Amino acid sequence: MAVPSPSAPAVRTEGLGKRFGPTEAVVDLSLTVPPGEVFGFLGPNGAGKSTTIRLLLGLLRPTTGSAWVFDAPAGEVARAHRRLAYVPADVSLWPSLTGRECLDLLAGVGPGTDLAYRDQLLERFALDPDRRARTYSSGNRQKVALVAAFATRAPLLVLDEPTSGLDPLMEREFRACIAEAAERGQTVFLSSHQLAEVELACSRVGIIREGRLVEVTGLAELRRLRRAEVVADLSTPAPELQRLAALPGVSDLRWPTPVRLELSLTGPPGPVLRALADADVAHLEMREPSLEEIFLDYYGQGPA
Amino acid sequence: MTTRTPSRPAPAALPATSRSAGRAVTGAAVRQVRRGTAVVAAVCGGLTALVVVQYRGLDGAVGIGSLTALAENPAIRTLFGPPVALDDPGGFTVWRTGTVLAVLVGTWAALTATRLTRGEEEAGRWDLLLAGRLRLRSLVARTLVVVLAAAAVTGAAAGLGLLLAGAAGPGAAVFGGVLAGTGTVGAALGVLAAQLLPDRRSASGLAVAVLLGGLLARMVADGVPALGWLAWLTPFGLLGRAAPFATDRPAPLLVLALLAAVPAVLAVVLAGGRDLGGSRVAGRDRRTAHSRLLTSLPGLALHRTRRALGTWAAGLMAYFLLIGLLATAMTDFLRANPFFARLAAQAGFAQLGSVEGYVSALYALLAVPVGVFAAGRIAATAADEAAGRLALLYSLPVGRSRWAATEAATVAAASVVLAGAGGLATWIGTSWVGAGLGLGDALAGALGVLPVALLCLGAALAALGWAPAAVLPIGVLPAAGGYVLLVLGDTFGWPGAVRWFSPFAHLNAVPAEPVDVAGGLGMLAVAGVLALAGCLRYARRDLLG
Ligand SMILES: Nc1ncnc2c1ncn2[C@@H]1O[C@H](COP(=O)(O)OP(=O)(O)O)[C@@H](O)[C@H]1O
Ligand SMILES: [Mg+2]
Repeated sequence: MAVPSPSAPAVRTEGLGKRFGPTEAVVDLSLTVPPGEVFGFLGPNGAGKSTTIRLLLGLLRPTTGSAWVFDAPAGEVARAHRRLAYVPADVSLWPSLTGRECLDLLAGVGPGTDLAYRDQLLERFALDPDRRARTYSSGNRQKVALVAAFATRAPLLVLDEPTSGLDPLMEREFRACIAEAAERGQTVFLSSHQLAEVELACSRVGIIREGRLVEVTGLAELRRLRRAEVVADLSTPAPELQRLAALPGVSDLRWPTPVRLELSLTGPPGPVLRALADADVAHLEMREPSLEEIFLDYYGQGPA
Repeated sequence: MTTRTPSRPAPAALPATSRSAGRAVTGAAVRQVRRGTAVVAAVCGGLTALVVVQYRGLDGAVGIGSLTALAENPAIRTLFGPPVALDDPGGFTVWRTGTVLAVLVGTWAALTATRLTRGEEEAGRWDLLLAGRLRLRSLVARTLVVVLAAAAVTGAAAGLGLLLAGAAGPGAAVFGGVLAGTGTVGAALGVLAAQLLPDRRSASGLAVAVLLGGLLARMVADGVPALGWLAWLTPFGLLGRAAPFATDRPAPLLVLALLAAVPAVLAVVLAGGRDLGGSRVAGRDRRTAHSRLLTSLPGLALHRTRRALGTWAAGLMAYFLLIGLLATAMTDFLRANPFFARLAAQAGFAQLGSVEGYVSALYALLAVPVGVFAAGRIAATAADEAAGRLALLYSLPVGRSRWAATEAATVAAASVVLAGAGGLATWIGTSWVGAGLGLGDALAGALGVLPVALLCLGAALAALGWAPAAVLPIGVLPAAGGYVLLVLGDTFGWPGAVRWFSPFAHLNAVPAEPVDVAGGLGMLAVAGVLALAGCLRYARRDLLG
């Protein structure tokens, strides 16, 4: 086959849909990811992220529509998979093989691996490759898949919630690897259910909810989604705090009791903190709401 | 943990108390065994009833003199167990079907036990259950009780089948008891192996190997008088000692209960002292030397096949070595007792009087394990898929039909090796006793059964495409089902149209007869079509897991 043109989109789907019995897992999903982009695929659990990715990899057959990887149809895996590497959401390995054997197998059968870089990655992810897979935690299994994927230097990395089993230190290492990949010009398709994660790693984000792509936005627009739930317990009632409602970024100020206030905050917290400093605050809590709560607020009950 | 986190929620939500948690575990285990139990019970009950009814049609003219001669022949005793009460429909049925059913029930119970214990544990589904108040020991104990009960049900079904067909009550009860006991021994061994070994496959292998080792021990015990006591240590030997429809002795049943109780108690005790996901014989968790095979698809296929091949080859060679060693004893006997030669011919064993006829009759038996081996390897692929272990492989530029074809070719080659090993062992045995069988004849006969085994491989691949949850049962059907069909058809003179559906009807008794080239090629063609269709369909369906 001809080498695909350099401008071919790394990922393209048109009207992609998948139905499992009565469940519409993915509905009419059309999306284009140009090469070189770090694309976030954001959605709460059960939104259809993994299903979309499995369709993209040809592991599932679409009910409607089609998908391409660098213009190769997703179903033609011998062609499409020459240019991608994949990390599943839930990595499972043959229990009796060691991590190194799994890596060697993926490198031997795959389209090519930078072995020196792989050794470096093993070091960075602090993975002992000589243990059998049955002794690995789910995070360690994820590391095996991540090391294998990054070491291929494939033009497209498809990562399905790859940090779900990693500790914060390893998450940082992971983000560094993503940044290096982006610098080398690799495309990254990163699915996640954490706003903060895609915000840190991605340049553009597609939001999927109940199987539908509801929005594709840049980082700036994504930031407006971000908010914090603030809960303050007061030692004595402070009616003057009513003025919090007028501060920029504050919405939905509630008083469950005269000595407890709750509010939603978007943007910088400075003004709110200054206002609270004057009152007698016994306990302050700031919580990031779940993606589902944010979406519920933003997009309402049903899909857009 | 060995595999990924559970893809499905545990069968039961976490209940509030350990009592109700326990009940939920028992309920889930019952749901997991009931279908298999129903099928095995139907086979046990149906087959015994059928043989009793059909025996009546023979109008048994078995004289007492011939009976004694039969009972005293070491070869007959070794291969089929001591024939007792052949003049009774029930006794004949026990002799004809007892060993086969005992192997079926025991193996099924062992595999079910490892599936429900180590299999569930490996899949991570026990993590959730044990996050509640339940302890590992009580989880193991409850599962064990369910599998023991399931095994007992299949034995009861066989007894019921005999009774309903009109056999005598005490004999039916003893035979049912022996079958149930064999099943419980298998179940207890399965649960014990699941405590000892860290993965389901090796636990299943160990349990079945110990059980079938008992079959070999029974053969030795019945063939070598000095070692007769060995029969008391195995369910298959106790079947003969209990002598259903002859003496109906209860003592062997008590010994059988003991044989089941020891591994069962041991399993529960061992479960109490280990961690979830751990095992008593863990093997090394770290290994710096790594396999050089694991860098290519054919290498991976070979790596996945070689251990199973080694185990199966060792078992089959032991069995066929014994077959070879018995050759002269058997042929001399049948030449001296033409009546039994006729009876054997009716049961599908023609020409048992010559060494070639004798080994060719037993080679037909070889098709079943080789076919089960082939189907089992494809079933392992289906299990890997369901556990999500193939997702990474299929994210490489590897088409699914390419991997399935690579595996199929490897398994086909391994089947050739396996059949050849059986032939070689037979030749060694016959040469030892000077029975005068050529190596070429021994190998030709053994390799001659390959079309049937490859038919199993084809059926298993078709199942991989259309019914990935049922690869093993569908895959073994051509060999196991076909064998039963042909033996029944020959014994009871069923019409040729029925026999035609058995693959064995298209095999000649090689080396006594020339190879049935047309039949062999026909079966290979069917196997090829099934395999091709299965691989193509496999590449087009949704991947599980
Ligand atoms: N093999 C399957 N069979 C039936 N339903 C499925 C299957 N896979 C996913 N689903 C359903 O499709 C929806 C989307 O699931 P998934 O793509 O895994 O979501 P996400 O990865 O965003 O968490 C869910 O409702 C899930 O239950
Ligand atoms: Mg997912």
